[in-house]
Amino acid sequence: MTEILNSLLTPFHYEYMLKAIGVSALIGVVCGFLSAFVTLKGWSLMGDALSHAVVPGVALAYILGLPFTLGAFVAGLLAAGTMAFIKAQSRIREDATIGIVFTTYFALGLVLITLFPARVDLKTIILGNILGISDPDILQVIVISAITLLILGLKWKDLMLFCFDANQARTMGLPTGLLHVVLLTLLAATAVAALQAVGACLVVAMLVTPGATAYLLTDRFGRMIFLSSGMGLVTSLAGAYASYYFNGATGGCIVTLQTLVFLAAFVFGPKHGMLAARRRAANADTSTSA
Amino acid sequence: MSSREPKTTEFMPRLDVEGVTMVYANGHLALRDASFHLSSGTICALVGVNGSGKSTLFKSIMGFLKPKAGRVSISGMPVSEVLKRNLVAYVPQSEEVDWQFPVSVWDVVMMGRYGSMNFLRIPRAIDKVKVEESLKRVSMWDFRDRQIGELSGGQKKRVFLARALAQGGRVILLDEPFTGVDVKTEEEIIALLRELRMTGCIILVSTHNLGSVPEFCDQVVLINRTVLAYGPTSKVFTEENLTAAFGGVLRQFHFEESTIQDHDGRAVRVLTDDERPLIFGKDGHLEYKDRGQHEELLRKRSEEHD
Repeated sequence: MTEILNSLLTPFHYEYMLKAIGVSALIGVVCGFLSAFVTLKGWSLMGDALSHAVVPGVALAYILGLPFTLGAFVAGLLAAGTMAFIKAQSRIREDATIGIVFTTYFALGLVLITLFPARVDLKTIILGNILGISDPDILQVIVISAITLLILGLKWKDLMLFCFDANQARTMGLPTGLLHVVLLTLLAATAVAALQAVGACLVVAMLVTPGATAYLLTDRFGRMIFLSSGMGLVTSLAGAYASYYFNGATGGCIVTLQTLVFLAAFVFGPKHGMLAARRRAANADTSTSA
Repeated sequence: MSSREPKTTEFMPRLDVEGVTMVYANGHLALRDASFHLSSGTICALVGVNGSGKSTLFKSIMGFLKPKAGRVSISGMPVSEVLKRNLVAYVPQSEEVDWQFPVSVWDVVMMGRYGSMNFLRIPRAIDKVKVEESLKRVSMWDFRDRQIGELSGGQKKRVFLARALAQGGRVILLDEPFTGVDVKTEEEIIALLRELRMTGCIILVSTHNLGSVPEFCDQVVLINRTVLAYGPTSKVFTEENLTAAFGGVLRQFHFEESTIQDHDGRAVRVLTDDERPLIFGKDGHLEYKDRGQHEELLRKRSEEHD
């Protein structure tokens, strides 16, 4: 019995595991919180795009010895700007614009990484390496998370109105242009933080799955934020912990867990789940035939 | 922050649109030299075909678009100033709203109060009172905990009207308010708009549903890339003006004398699927469903103006 308990506690005996679990949990909460807005604003694809577009910035920052967040952040905003510019100046649809821009940035990142293979590790960027995260990187993640949580915590109602009805927000004198930029900036910043935990390929899952799951479980925005943040926290914590036993695929563990929770909500959700919808349809049938 | 509270009992708006020209970034000229003036206490229809510049005009009144020439002012103030005082309220088209958004009826109406709340948007007692009043006024109080997608077409409309009321808007813009709404609800909405007119609101209704216009709008602005005509409905809503505004878009049915026989009691019945038909009499005068009541209304209004 104690043997089992001991082996379950092993991950906590290692400092690197404690750090990984803590940082993952923090990133999970922030991504979860933001994902409520991302899914309702219809920016899921945007989250995917930004998480790939930051790669050349990260590569360049490592090559030049700058903080990686700075590079990633600048690249992310540049990418968002490029998309907005192309959308405004041409007749190309938004999804095509996003497709073109993020792959361009990602490709540029790959070229940079292969040109300077000694400075940056491709695997770290694409798949994340939370188990080997350095202390300065942890500090950057903490700063990003604190700022994001502060802004979202204080202004979530304004952002909710902006997502729900931007015109109304505008007629009441809310700075919708600024809110748009703030949300986009937070998205870029959070994508950068999440890059550490799960890598560029899976960041979008962290930014979409918790929000989508919570959306299936509630009809109130406040509760949706609570559920998506909570889900981000628990799955990231558990995923990082479990990854000790799977030798390092932290991102994979976290995202797989999130998918399992999503599937549960998708099937068993009390109101918007598949079974509930079936039940409703069956009831409607019997009530009309009776 | 309490200074931003709109003084609903006092503010009597006047809307002046003067020589407004709107050009979009891609060079498209949406409106040219559009002018009209409305004083407080009116329900005015903004009538024109799709693409005639109705929504552009709305956007300029809401301050979303800056005119290339001309200006929009409300009681002499620029639009931006009026927006800060939460005096312009907008009731969106049903198609523009995400009905699956996780908010309740109460939440939506409370959003109308955000403009006068503090930085954190925490509702005060007065906000809750206003929301309750507004919901009761549109008979939606019992539905306050419903998610907005679980409402009927008419109920949805009323929720957004309640939001405009809660906001304390004095210039209220409604975009196609009667699409997807049954006749009973349409009449309820019209009754509510008339009450608001009595309190001095300017209600501007964008619509292509011609038949309902003479029923409840006392003024009309006809537009097609510019203002073709504006003024009292009886003067502006003529066959000639409407033909100019709509070109060949309208279907016309002439009931010749042979159709209307004495032994039918000189009555014709017109059925339409959805929208109210617009019917002109022999000399081009407007026909109303209930002529007596309408003439009573006109008489009252002319007395008010004297």
